Amino acid sequence: MQIALCGSAGDGTIAAGDILRSAVAAMGYRVICFDVYPAEIRGFGKCIARLRITTEQSYSLKRQSDILVSLDDAHAIPHAGEVRDDGAVIYESQPVAACPEGGHMSGHVLPGQIPYGLPIREMAEKYTGGARSRNLVVLGFVAGLLGLTPAPFLQIIEKKFAKQGAAVVARNQKGFQAGHEAGASTFKLDDVRVAPVEKPEAAGQVVMLSGNAAVAMGCMDAELDTFFGYPITPATSIMERLAVAMPKRGRRLLQTEDEISAVAAAIGAGYTGARSATATSGPGLALMAEMLGLATIAEVPCVIFVSQRGGPSTGMPTKTEQSDLNAALYGSPGDSQRIVIAPTNVEGCYRCAGKAFEMAERYQTPVLVLLDLYLSNRYETVTLADSGPPFNLDDNKPMRRLEAGELYRRYALTEDGISPRAVPGDAGCMHVITGLEHNELGRPDDREETHAAMSRKRHDKLLAALEHPDFTVAKRFGDPGRVQVGMLAWGSTFGECLEAMFMAHSEGITCAAMKVVMLSPFPVQAVRAFMDSCDVVLVPEVNHEGQFAQLVQGILARPVVRLSRVPGSPMPVELILEEIRRLARGIVTAIAS
Amino acid sequence: MSIMEKPVFVDAKLQEVHASGRLEYRSRSLPTWCPGCGYFSIVEGITYACNAMSLNKDQSVVVSGIGCASRFPFFVNLFGFHTLHGRVLPVATGIKTANDKLTVIAIGGDGDGFAIGGGHIPHAAKRNVDITYLLFDNGIYGLTKGQTSPLSAMGLRTSTSPFDNPERPLNPLMMLLSYEASWVGQSYAGRPDHLREMIAQAIAHRGFSYLHILSPCVAFDKTSKTYVNLGLQVRDLPPGHDSSNLMAAMQQAQNQERPALGVYYQSARPTLSDSFEQLCARAKAAGEAKS
Repeated sequence: MQIALCGSAGDGTIAAGDILRSAVAAMGYRVICFDVYPAEIRGFGKCIARLRITTEQSYSLKRQSDILVSLDDAHAIPHAGEVRDDGAVIYESQPVAACPEGGHMSGHVLPGQIPYGLPIREMAEKYTGGARSRNLVVLGFVAGLLGLTPAPFLQIIEKKFAKQGAAVVARNQKGFQAGHEAGASTFKLDDVRVAPVEKPEAAGQVVMLSGNAAVAMGCMDAELDTFFGYPITPATSIMERLAVAMPKRGRRLLQTEDEISAVAAAIGAGYTGARSATATSGPGLALMAEMLGLATIAEVPCVIFVSQRGGPSTGMPTKTEQSDLNAALYGSPGDSQRIVIAPTNVEGCYRCAGKAFEMAERYQTPVLVLLDLYLSNRYETVTLADSGPPFNLDDNKPMRRLEAGELYRRYALTEDGISPRAVPGDAGCMHVITGLEHNELGRPDDREETHAAMSRKRHDKLLAALEHPDFTVAKRFGDPGRVQVGMLAWGSTFGECLEAMFMAHSEGITCAAMKVVMLSPFPVQAVRAFMDSCDVVLVPEVNHEGQFAQLVQGILARPVVRLSRVPGSPMPVELILEEIRRLARGIVTAIAS
Repeated sequence: MSIMEKPVFVDAKLQEVHASGRLEYRSRSLPTWCPGCGYFSIVEGITYACNAMSLNKDQSVVVSGIGCASRFPFFVNLFGFHTLHGRVLPVATGIKTANDKLTVIAIGGDGDGFAIGGGHIPHAAKRNVDITYLLFDNGIYGLTKGQTSPLSAMGLRTSTSPFDNPERPLNPLMMLLSYEASWVGQSYAGRPDHLREMIAQAIAHRGFSYLHILSPCVAFDKTSKTYVNLGLQVRDLPPGHDSSNLMAAMQQAQNQERPALGVYYQSARPTLSDSFEQLCARAKAAGEAKS
């Protein structure tokens, strides 16, 4: 079931969504939510909180909602169409002033949708003594209509407003209860139902996390020592969360003067052997490019979280996009190979965060973790294993003891390309690391054979990451064996692909989807095997140029069909489904060359 | 007493240098600087200061940017990080944040520090990161063969200002003083005794110390910051200069015609590490109060 709450900034739309998701998560449902809000803090921008509530894990939001709640008709009217047949549209029945023609929701409810006009403002004023609790009245109405018990909601409301005093808690609870009674006593004409949830055997602790919160949690569980950052939407909340968590454990976080300094300091800290990270978005990544090349050639571990937003340049700071793939893969001077991984859901954010440190240290290289605004800001219920964090962080290649008088070779050419690493403080291992091409000792050396050997070392050592323990670099879902349509996807769009795939299955189309989590080094074999089994391969991604499609085509020299869109929002599932249908019908126009 | 009255023989001098122990701090790499470069005197000064302070080689890191000066880490036997053009301070800040037991010496030239890296200096000074920043000022880009730097004298002819540099140079000491760096000093490569003392003091200072070192570029500047000119121009800070008086320091720094050598300003205030310790203590207390 999916609910959309729509209002104007300041209506409490996002807050109501927050309470709803916490309450249903407490009841044991799985939740995915994604809020859309304007770039401006004040003003009358549109806010939408969408929540999908399921009994089993789901992978994305749906295109169609089952319930739309309008707290501001001007903003909500364009979204009336997203409600399915026999779904509910809930709106203010007693506007405070006369509506201009066409300005009231009641005129926009489509045939088949069930309208519920509710005197929201009147009720709020009657029961809470003011209009500010409209959001809670209407939330109560939804809960009542769906037959959800009020107790978890009241608890969450108490927790959320406790800081503002007992009066505010009581006022909001009253508003919620009034709404709940109204909802419970309303004759229900729509067919939106929530299946009762049976609390599953606890396989672990279920928590509600946003993508950025999951990243911060992964960092803490991986025992991050230092973090350096510069605020940038949508990555800032990673730093904000760590700023609270790290000092409590005696760890250090510094807000630097820019992104160059952030990554420079992270590399400096990595050089000393500390576990370090920074987080940014596309514009910050561009500034970091030169430094990342330094980390590659000097072989210093560090982790960079990049939450993508609409680009280029300042672009669309509060809209999602997957257009920083090229920058992440190639954005440095020279042959600057590095590891790039991209989680596909919130749980993946947690895992990738911890694994990124494992990889950075084991392969002595920068690791980029690509998120996007959709993934950073959306909330999901995540199950955390009881066995503790699934990270193995004691895997640094041990330093061999030096013989007396022996020179320490920081960049010794070894079979796997990974050289024993010493850090300041290791007795007798004084050496200089540098951004200049260097020999095994780290001394500047630009002879042909040195550059060739070192370039090979830096490239080859990363290939082992494709078999990194307990890490899924790519995985196939859906129909086994030969399929009509296969989808290759990365990052958050994979969730939409999976939804589309399930819908295609129900239409009798054989279909499979592969998520590619590791984008560099590229899992050539797994992807080739997948493509071999598909009549046609579709690559949906939220960017204009088809950056991932180009990557796949370039590496595997095989055609794919691109589905590249830049709506500023997640890829619509229906759009993917349409494309699957079209391809399954065999009308393949050769888009790819 | 002139040198002629008491001859010094190379053998004797070499023995003295060996006996002093300061060669322990030199690496096996020979400096790549031009013969006569003022930087030789600086590397000498640093090894002397390190030796005099018995600096632990395993616990010291020299960080540098890009340029002639920044080749420095290769020539000393300490841990070193030769980073990117202009980025010596943020890298050094990261190193010190991660491990404050380390002695961190940051090194860069005038282009590295005041052109591309100028934005980082106020922040390092503001945070009072406990590092020593040695700025080698030869007033020119030497490694790229003689282009104008932000500290090039007005009227200097270089390959990028063939019709003479029309811009006034920055006043680096005024900048550092206005950022309230907690230790600001100036020295000259042609005064090795003064230089080594100043380096030792700068390293010993707890907090961000900035030492401006005037040094001739013998290859690309034949008219401005030469040994002859600098030798005639430099003076000592007036006797009785109060290094706790910021305004007095600024007054001295304003005279760029006659650069004064010595400690302009010093003050004791909490370092970045101190701030972190306090912050962590507060956060832990707040966390415990809550639970």
